[in-house]
Amino acid sequence: MISARLRDARAALVADPSLRGRAFGASLASVLDGALIDVFTEVEAPGEVALVALGSYARRELCPGSDVDVLLLHNLRGRNASRTVRALTERLWYPLWDAGLVTGHGARTIKESISLADEDLDALTALLEVRHVAGASDLTIELERRARELAVRRRGRVLRALAEGFAARRARPGAIAEMLEPDLKEGSGGLRDVQALEWAGWTLGEPGATRTLVARGFLTAGDLARLEPGRELLLDLRVALQRVTGSRSDRLALQEQDAVAEQLGMPDADALVHDLASAAREIAWISADVWMRVADSLRGPAGRAGSADHVVAQGVVLRDGRVHVEADGDGSIPALRAIEAACAAAEHDVPFDRASLTRLRATGEPTWDVWERAGFVRLLRFGENAVPVFEAFDHEGVLVRLLPEWSHVRSRPQRNAYHRFTVDRHLLEAVAQCAQLLDAGDAHATGGFENDIDAIVARACRRPELLLFGALLHDIAKGMPGDHSKVGAQTAERIARRMRIDSEGREIVVWLVRHHLLMAEVATRRDLSDATVADNVAAACAADAERLRLLYLLTIGDSRATGPAAWNPSKAGLVRDLFVKAAAAIERGEARALAADRREALVKRLGEERASTVLDRLPESYVLAFDVDTICAHAALLESVPTVQCEPVGGGNVVVTVVAPDRPGLLATLAGALSVGGVNVSDAQLFGTADGLALDVFRGADPFGRVVEDPARVVRVIERALAGEIDLATRVEERRRSYAPFGERAGPVTVEVNTDESDTDTVVEVHADDDVGLLYRLASAFVELHVDVRVAKVATLGQRVVDVFYVRDANGRKIDDPEAVESLGAALVARMRA
Amino acid sequence: MKLVVGIIKPFKLDDVKTAVQEFGVQGLTITEVQGFGRQRGHTEVYRGAEYTIDFVPKVKLEILVEDSEAQGVADKIMEAARTGKIGDGKVWIIPIEGVLRIRTGEAGSDAL
Repeated sequence: MISARLRDARAALVADPSLRGRAFGASLASVLDGALIDVFTEVEAPGEVALVALGSYARRELCPGSDVDVLLLHNLRGRNASRTVRALTERLWYPLWDAGLVTGHGARTIKESISLADEDLDALTALLEVRHVAGASDLTIELERRARELAVRRRGRVLRALAEGFAARRARPGAIAEMLEPDLKEGSGGLRDVQALEWAGWTLGEPGATRTLVARGFLTAGDLARLEPGRELLLDLRVALQRVTGSRSDRLALQEQDAVAEQLGMPDADALVHDLASAAREIAWISADVWMRVADSLRGPAGRAGSADHVVAQGVVLRDGRVHVEADGDGSIPALRAIEAACAAAEHDVPFDRASLTRLRATGEPTWDVWERAGFVRLLRFGENAVPVFEAFDHEGVLVRLLPEWSHVRSRPQRNAYHRFTVDRHLLEAVAQCAQLLDAGDAHATGGFENDIDAIVARACRRPELLLFGALLHDIAKGMPGDHSKVGAQTAERIARRMRIDSEGREIVVWLVRHHLLMAEVATRRDLSDATVADNVAAACAADAERLRLLYLLTIGDSRATGPAAWNPSKAGLVRDLFVKAAAAIERGEARALAADRREALVKRLGEERASTVLDRLPESYVLAFDVDTICAHAALLESVPTVQCEPVGGGNVVVTVVAPDRPGLLATLAGALSVGGVNVSDAQLFGTADGLALDVFRGADPFGRVVEDPARVVRVIERALAGEIDLATRVEERRRSYAPFGERAGPVTVEVNTDESDTDTVVEVHADDDVGLLYRLASAFVELHVDVRVAKVATLGQRVVDVFYVRDANGRKIDDPEAVESLGAALVARMRA
Repeated sequence: MKLVVGIIKPFKLDDVKTAVQEFGVQGLTITEVQGFGRQRGHTEVYRGAEYTIDFVPKVKLEILVEDSEAQGVADKIMEAARTGKIGDGKVWIIPIEGVLRIRTGEAGSDAL
């Protein structure tokens, strides 16, 4: 039985690991050839029939799981032709099927084959390199000749389709050199890239394949030689992979890498991935170069002549959509010029001229003066567009000149379920993601992303360049012994010193690398409702809001660059929550520090005893509200009760300070008196001392300037009001009526009562148009409702006033019964409408 | 067989994992999810920008167990995930028609 013999022979080849890559493919092809010739002889095929091998079978590059592509080429005509062909093919293909070989097969005339090839690119490329197996060899030769003719005739269409295929493979399934689980066949830098070059060669005529590309100057002989070892390695790996898995998959999954490495006698999976990445990089690089030239030739001379030279920097020119770099007399290129060329390529999203790239190999040592450093930051800031530039620089050895540590991360695999990219590509991706966050921050400044917290944070960054450095270096020590964050921090310190980053910036970059996992870890593993968690993060940031901002953005950029499993709306929500809480903790800390500073200064000025008579009697919020001079002045006022003071502070404004025994309705009395005295209150701060005094400070203006001329008058009005000598309700209403005809119609009044904002008080927020005596009427309404106002903040925003009151009921308790809250709101609205 | 499903606070995952492992659970599946229960979403403000958290981040656990162990596993999850505060999550138990281990074809309890 031929099929049994075939199956055994194939199994023996698969079981013999000494047959690597090409040797395996050639052996399997020979076995198949033999079997097919036997069957072909057995079936006594007519003379006008040939058996033709296609694809990897034709190239003798079969792998254990490969499809075997065979074509029954015939020249049969007439009524019985199709029946004869069907009978023939069944007898030919059955042994292959029975042997467990998956076959792509067909039975066609030359004319049919060529017409199919004219419709379908895959059908055409399959015919460019065929191999005669059995039967009438003149048919095979004729088919090949006509297929190659067709390829030349359809050159433009075929080349464009092949170039598009090359570009598409970069996006999906992605570059072999950068993927942790690369596709050996379809991945960028894989076997398909090499085949595509050969097919491109055939469209340009004899001598065929890559030889034509060299003859026509699309590919240098040196590059052709550099392609070969890569192709051999890919074949070796593909055969070994399919041997290990017993499947047809070309995806080198993490779980197979150890076994594949062992079969090929490599030290370990890391060595395998490293060699593969280098080879794939080379193939992708050379391919990209060829396709660039192909694109130029397709455009023709007319396409190129249009654009004039554009000098970007000294020795850097943009010409015909390429960046050209000139060398100095001695052949060297200063580092600054190389960096500026890189920026030009990234900014205009264009490749380097090939000869310029070769010249760039002679880039000099950077001195990292301010220009080089600024240029480098600019390059990083281009984000996604900078990635191909970095890859080009890496290929020509320029990148390690700028950043020697890069050689450690180049093509370095990382073995976990989260990561998608090798370390080097991950770092570049993180830079790109961070640059995108900064873009959103810039857009926020011009009116976009209003409610995007990330954009607001990005906008607030004082030193965004440190984020980019942090992103570029955060995993620089991956794969070194020890904790990669700690070792990385040391490496980053060395790099930052070499790049001459200022000491504050250096400290922050090192800190970012050291703690780049902190927020992601804390956000997912700690209880964010526990206040100490946010406090600890704030402390880790040395209570520096800038560090927190940068770390937050780096966490997002790093996670997005890792892969879909590392970042999702759920995790983003947790990290953002942690950020907002830690930011609040830092602000609280800043407030505490400010209060402590003021306390210290007061003790110095007033002496321990007098200072404590102020500080011990008033709350923390008081110390935060006033500067040291004002507090000193208040200390004097507190010693003689009651006191009313009215001081002009410039710009037609006055500050009225009242110290008086606290009592219900005091705010209403003062607000009324101020209104009668002609002061439009724009800001009020009310405090109560522990021993029952009120210290109320009002800021206001008099549109007619009388108050500033005679502040004593205001003081007299307030004193008389406090003594109960003025009918405030009547006087205020009179004033309001006199001004009403001249004012604009008052807009709507809205009242919001909030019980969640404070644990001890109910917060009432009133929005209304500014009006004579507004504060008086509000305060009076509270008195009538038996509500005690403990803190009031009055803010005037143009015509609109927002007054916020912290209130309790007559017994000093927070009002949180829903009914009471509702009736309080309704009663206020009703009184304000009256 | 039963499927024990739990929705827990993300930071409680390690505790819950340890607890059910100690109980003898052989495997579990987790998914990072978002949703709301009585906790609802809430609106936060940062630098004047309001952002609404309609759905709160949670982790969803799924554990296949024998009938007799379902209640015990659910109790362990509850103990380990409990903080006493709102948003601690939920556990529920679903009956399962059948289970197969893909690699070997073992079925039912053998596949757990």
